[in-house]
Amino acid sequence: MPIFASTHRRQALVMIRTNLSSLPRRFAISASMALSVALVVCVLAGFLSMAKGFERALNGAGSHSIAVVLGGGTNQETGSDIPASVIRTLDAMTGDMGVVRDAGGKLVSSREIVVPVDVRQRTLALRGMDAIGPSIRDGITLSAGRVFAPGAREIVVGDRLAGEFGLGMGDTVRLGAVDWTVAGHFSARGSAFESELWADLDAVRAAFDRQGQVQSLKLRLTDPASLNRLQEFLSTITETPLVAVSEADLYAAQSGRTGSLIRLFGWPIALLMAVGATAGALNTMMSSVADRTVEIATVRALGFSRLSAFLGTWIEAVVLASAGVVLGLFASWLAFNGWQASTIGANNTRMAFQLAVTRDILLTTGLLGLAIGILGGALPALAATRLPLTTALRARG
Amino acid sequence: MIQDIAPYIALIGIRKAYRIGGEMMPIFSGLDLTIPRGDFVAVMGPSGSGKSTLLNMLAGIDRPDAGTLSIGTSRLDQMGEAARSAWRAHNMGIVFQFYNLLPMLNAAENVELPLLLKPLSRKERRLRVERVLDLVGLSGWEKQYPAMMSGGQQQRIGIARAIVSDPGLLLCDEPTGDLDRKSADEVLDMLRFLNRELEKTIVMVTHDPQAALYARRTLHLDKGDFVEEKRAA
Repeated sequence: MPIFASTHRRQALVMIRTNLSSLPRRFAISASMALSVALVVCVLAGFLSMAKGFERALNGAGSHSIAVVLGGGTNQETGSDIPASVIRTLDAMTGDMGVVRDAGGKLVSSREIVVPVDVRQRTLALRGMDAIGPSIRDGITLSAGRVFAPGAREIVVGDRLAGEFGLGMGDTVRLGAVDWTVAGHFSARGSAFESELWADLDAVRAAFDRQGQVQSLKLRLTDPASLNRLQEFLSTITETPLVAVSEADLYAAQSGRTGSLIRLFGWPIALLMAVGATAGALNTMMSSVADRTVEIATVRALGFSRLSAFLGTWIEAVVLASAGVVLGLFASWLAFNGWQASTIGANNTRMAFQLAVTRDILLTTGLLGLAIGILGGALPALAATRLPLTTALRARG
Repeated sequence: MIQDIAPYIALIGIRKAYRIGGEMMPIFSGLDLTIPRGDFVAVMGPSGSGKSTLLNMLAGIDRPDAGTLSIGTSRLDQMGEAARSAWRAHNMGIVFQFYNLLPMLNAAENVELPLLLKPLSRKERRLRVERVLDLVGLSGWEKQYPAMMSGGQQQRIGIARAIVSDPGLLLCDEPTGDLDRKSADEVLDMLRFLNRELEKTIVMVTHDPQAALYARRTLHLDKGDFVEEKRAA
């Protein structure tokens, strides 16, 4: 059996070698097959890296230790409204609500609203918050300057926006009808927060005529599991339906929808292209078999097995597809990884994110490319085993 | 040289027909032929007489529809495709009209091909390749590629490939059909040497009467039957 196996292995290796050696004879069509596979890989990698980058930006924005209270029966900040009387009721509540209180027993909370503003013909999110807002969040660091002063028309700008819009320290920018001064820059490890402008709540409400409005209330939980206890307390308030969600879940839900949408477009396009590329591979390999009719028939006439003829052609297809995969992955990495993109995020404002070509994406797209070679090469490989050997005896080699 | 009396190749009542345009076209309708071990037979005949079909059947590439086809102790008419493939690898060599060398392999690698079907070490294969290349007068040409050789040299490589695994039977399909007279004579001299000195049984299909003179006997096929037999003087 080992001799049998090694004989077959040698036969297959010879067939593979002769096939691969003859590739230069079919350079154009072989290169076109590899390129079509590379294109499929690039397209899918592009869509998936977009979805992944979007997810990363939004997932990084949320913390399980922060509860977001929303009012008016919605589970998004858009459309949410928490009346001032409800906030007073919450502040007056005693007992263990599962949220952190300060030394004086007051809730550690930040009232917030989000206002879409136009900056250089693009819509951004201006978030008004209480003074504690920046520090209540996890993973936020000031990279320059300071936070906004209470009541002042000052903004703190996410690093990503600051870089893209050239909002330097001390610059003034018109938001709505008034000018605002850039007081600081903050980093949020590339998360969606960096696509926002932060300012004092009262200043924002005054500038945009939103007096008294609060869309969300951020509370720091004593631990992530105490969210349910907070919800129980909220359910005792009957003035308006209130819901508490963790900040992480809030952003994950947003990213889930948009990520699914991107994939919904990306996969069908990539699969349609993959079908085309498979047809291309089929055509290339059929041409390869036709080109080597005499050689295949000759070695078969010498006693080589059908299996070796099959493997030779099949592996040639897989090698060409692999070359396309490597090319496609390399090109995707160069073109997409770290590329800045933006989309419409929550509140119909612009959200910037960075495309991420992750290991998973490389694996998924690589496997799709290989599948093209495996499927597209199988039929021609079968055709190679069915070549009439009599052609070898009369064909001019 | 002493030839065996018992036939080495025996075709008895061979029938073969091909379907052409929906109709069965008979090639052989009861062909009989015996060839003793060590014979050198030239098969001549006009196009369509069945020469190629005969050679294909002897090579196990094609199978008769009916009749008995035995070579040595093997019944080719009863073997499946895989068994005939394995039989070819161990019992015969083929010399093609257009040499059929693999252009991307050098001379030594082309000659080595049939040995890859046998359980031989790399060293054994190399020694055998060197020996047959020496036999066909192309020692030192191991690394040359077919495109760099003349037709005569390529055909000698083809012969070396056919005999490298030391088969008892050589089938030659118009081996000089693509060669000039001088090269053709060199190749035919070599076939005669293989027959006379190494006792190979050779069946050669040819259109060339000069080539047929090198054989021990010449069979003429016409319309699927032998019409004439000439023995060399």
